[in-house]
Amino acid sequence: MIGEILMTQDIGVDEFLPLFIASTLVLVFGGFYVGIYTAVKVKLLKNWAMPFSYLFWILTAYCLYLMGSYMHVNDFTAKALVVAALGILILPHAVYYMQDRVHEENEH
Amino acid sequence: MVNSHLKYESKQLATWYFTFAAIIFGAQLLFGLVAATQYVMPGFLFEIVDFSVARMIHINALIVWMVFAMIGSVYWLLPDETGIETVGIGLGKVLFWAFAASIVVVVLVYLIVQVGPADETSLWLIHEGREYIEAPRWADIAIVVVVLGFIYNLYATGMKGNRSGIVTVLMADMLAFAGIYLAGMGYTDNISVDQFWWWWVIHLWVEATWEVFVGSLAAYGLITMIGAHRKVVEMWLWIEVAMLFGSGILGMGHHYFWIGTPEYWWEIGALFSALEPLPLVAMFIHVLYDWGKMQGEESAKGLETSVIANKPAFTWFVLNAIGNFLGAGVWGFFHTFPQVNLYTHGTQFTSAHGHLAFFGAYATLLIGMFYLAVQGKNGIKIMNATKKSIWATSMIFGGVLGMTAALTLSGYVQVLVSRAQWGATWEGYFAGQASIWFTQGMDWRLIMGVVTFLGFFVLIADLLSIGKATHHKR
Repeated sequence: MIGEILMTQDIGVDEFLPLFIASTLVLVFGGFYVGIYTAVKVKLLKNWAMPFSYLFWILTAYCLYLMGSYMHVNDFTAKALVVAALGILILPHAVYYMQDRVHEENEH
Repeated sequence: MVNSHLKYESKQLATWYFTFAAIIFGAQLLFGLVAATQYVMPGFLFEIVDFSVARMIHINALIVWMVFAMIGSVYWLLPDETGIETVGIGLGKVLFWAFAASIVVVVLVYLIVQVGPADETSLWLIHEGREYIEAPRWADIAIVVVVLGFIYNLYATGMKGNRSGIVTVLMADMLAFAGIYLAGMGYTDNISVDQFWWWWVIHLWVEATWEVFVGSLAAYGLITMIGAHRKVVEMWLWIEVAMLFGSGILGMGHHYFWIGTPEYWWEIGALFSALEPLPLVAMFIHVLYDWGKMQGEESAKGLETSVIANKPAFTWFVLNAIGNFLGAGVWGFFHTFPQVNLYTHGTQFTSAHGHLAFFGAYATLLIGMFYLAVQGKNGIKIMNATKKSIWATSMIFGGVLGMTAALTLSGYVQVLVSRAQWGATWEGYFAGQASIWFTQGMDWRLIMGVVTFLGFFVLIADLLSIGKATHHKR
């Protein structure tokens, strides 16, 4: 019953290693995306580095997809993973925007 | 306050809390080593300090030293934030001694009495048997009284003095922190119901109220150490509160997968667990933003000097962002979905996550607060690191990372052998335990535990001596 509700089939023995690696890379690549984006914005990195941040977001989203595939998730969890991928994309923009507005208002 | 630069009694009281916290931190590590040794040599201290007792002291001491350090941190920052002496400081001192005495008695009972009859007297006098919060009921009540007194001091000071954003968040957070503890004090013989409420304490502490607490400390630290703009930092703090409460509260679903709660918790746990890394990623932006902006402004003025006023403390604050990201983020995300947790639950994966998350998210920042207190007590304007600081940081952080890696390896064996191949059977359990990869993982965990323990002694030596070093700017 657990399988019917949560996943379409059991996780295979040979799927655990790529599954754990994919889930690790979700946060590692996500960290690179956010880190490079913020570093460019605060001028710790040059502007040409910005495309690399979005490249890392694409890798993050791909690893989320891989993770979901290895877990054989049901439809609901697949949608939750898509929401998480979009959340990671939007988050640094929103947080940076809010922080920078407050910073500017207090500087000028 | 002989030989002290502390102008407020509140800060002196904070140093008492920090000192006791450091002692209990040592006890936590010592009994962790005993338990780790028993994995390698099962007969070690058999029927003297059994694994159940060593583990109980290890994980309860963890909670206690952090609570002591958290209360000390509030007493430390209150005068800076409110501009006045803490209201009810005499009460605070009495409560400190009552709290410390209670903890000493509880630990002695754990060590000497250990177990009691299967009736109410054990619950009242020995321990309640709930992991992490095993204090007997009399101590539970004492803890509630102490924390209520502490909250009175915090509220009275916040209402009388300048109530900054940090103090406002702390006032709300500490009330939730104390209130949630009550959920773990009831007794029921239904294990599902018991676990349901027990998770309210554990999860809503570590993934909601404690995270907000360290967010407040990080905000205070960034203002005092690198001169970050208060309004920017406080803006961040409110964002973090919203994000943590948004994903953290219902993230509790990932603890309700297999304890007998309804199946809808699987979906709730999956959705909110997927969102839980977001606040951690946002925290990373925040630290980078503040440091980048402040350092960039100094560089624009042609100043090459660092903006950091307390380098050892700042190092621990940065390690907090990294450790929180790795321990709570990466190691939590590994097994937070029910599809994977079905296989990883109760293996050393959980232990690996627990070690790095507690250390990364909380211990790092609280050790940073110890260094801020040393700086304040010794009247140091810019405090530099010593060789001991660097050794202590490297050994403790490296040791915990090493333990985490070793436990992950052992957990992986358990997932593959005991769960996936043998289907979580009795034979499968022993096949996993007998695997050479599992046993070597336990060996390495012990070795790295020793490294961490030695690092602790270097840390204490540094905290006791760094204030007298001559290379600081006073």
